[in-house]
Amino acid sequence: MGRLEGKVAVILGASNAESMGAATARRFAREGAKLVLAARRKEAVEAVARDVGALAVACDIVVEEDLASLAKQAVDHFGRLDIAVNYAGVESGGPLIETSAETFRQAADVHFVGTALFIKQMALAMAQGGSIITASSLTVLVQAPGLSAYAGSKGGADALVRIAANELGERNIRVNAIAPGFTRSAMTAGYFAVEAVTRAFLREIPLGRFTTVEDVANSALWLASDEALVTGQVIDVTAGQSLRRTPRPDEFV
Amino acid sequence: MGRLAGKRALVVGAAGRGNMGQAIARRFAAEGARVAVAGRHRDVLEELAAGIGGVAVDCDFADGVSIGAMVGAAAAGLGGIDIAVNATGWGLLRPFLETSAEELDRMYALQLRGPFQFFQALIPLMTGRGGSIIQISSATATILFHDHDAYMATKAGTDHLVRSVANQFGERGIRVNSISPGVTETPMTAGAQAVPGLMDAFLESYPLGRYGTPEDIASGCVWLASDECFMTGQNLQVNGGLTLRGNPSAADIAASVAAAAG
Repeated sequence: MGRLEGKVAVILGASNAESMGAATARRFAREGAKLVLAARRKEAVEAVARDVGALAVACDIVVEEDLASLAKQAVDHFGRLDIAVNYAGVESGGPLIETSAETFRQAADVHFVGTALFIKQMALAMAQGGSIITASSLTVLVQAPGLSAYAGSKGGADALVRIAANELGERNIRVNAIAPGFTRSAMTAGYFAVEAVTRAFLREIPLGRFTTVEDVANSALWLASDEALVTGQVIDVTAGQSLRRTPRPDEFV
Repeated sequence: MGRLAGKRALVVGAAGRGNMGQAIARRFAAEGARVAVAGRHRDVLEELAAGIGGVAVDCDFADGVSIGAMVGAAAAGLGGIDIAVNATGWGLLRPFLETSAEELDRMYALQLRGPFQFFQALIPLMTGRGGSIIQISSATATILFHDHDAYMATKAGTDHLVRSVANQFGERGIRVNSISPGVTETPMTAGAQAVPGLMDAFLESYPLGRYGTPEDIASGCVWLASDECFMTGQNLQVNGGLTLRGNPSAADIAASVAAAAG
């Protein structure tokens, strides 16, 4: 019997077969969950959804009506909502003194406001309690120059997770974040293409290999299952890199 | 097929009926691991080992020589060790100003020197195949509790040791993490459970509205022990959100006990 038998899960940010969202969808499906997969463009998520027998839904995390509709479609289609996972993210980089207000606001909109509204709308639809999981980042745990908009907004979301967990416990809803290490995905493909970058990162990873999307999916499965009496936590899946540091750009040579 | 099929696990601190170590050992066995259980009470260990098809090993965790011998005997009995859990602890409640030098020495021996020497004994054994070491810490390593200074300080010290050992031996495929339970219904808290109203004082501190059980802690250990887990150097809060709120104060507890007494 699967570890998520009888449960219904929403996963936002599954638009690419190589993504954390897609890996999580495959893992959850193997454990018996019924799935709703979402991304900004419905066409982008349809292929992944077809592979795991999931419902595909269009959802932009910065639009609260989209999030409410996503939760409603899960409940309408499968009768309930137990698990909600958010991997939506937007990349940004550059020195703070060169970063525009627009860039800060865009990162905050997706990572901070979007996460808050995701937690809110999913919690409102979880009539029997549940587990909400959102993606934090290595960059919050060990900062690096050039990531003020990205890591700042992700760090704000971690504070949200703790407060949401404190408030939503009485509804038997657990809220946690996963902080993946430097993980090969569509978002990081550019970095992984440069050997000097991967070499510099590997020196800072005690377990000696990069976090994979499957590692992240396994962690999400554990948090999603009824086995984790865990709430308000940032689960570190950085392979120990948070014990060390993030390499500086000048080390990428 | 169990999540720990083919693994060889050592659980220290399993010689108290109904304690966390026993729940962890039973759960590991149910997930397919072969388990060695260690502690100070041979009869209790043998009863547990017989029930789960495991091996019983004597150990006094306050004695470094005993720790080394215990790890060696467990490795011999199991043919190696892939997973090791330290579930020992001494839940001393004593006001700071009244804590004696003898109590501090014993606390240090059990809760800091013991884990240190346990890890020292395990690293060479796990080198080559890798492994997962799990230290049972406490929520009080993060949030305070009254009259618990010696306990809290040594648990917090060992959590930092966990980080350092994880950092040093990750390259050998050895992961090292700790789990922090909150108040759990175990023999360690039997005294508190016997006082009407005392445990109730804690409930408001738990966002999920219940204390943890030894089985919750065992589930956390299965996660950290399995090959699915890619975490190291972490302190995992398996206490239903207790650290978000903090423990009740001595005054809160006294009020709850007084209310229960009518």
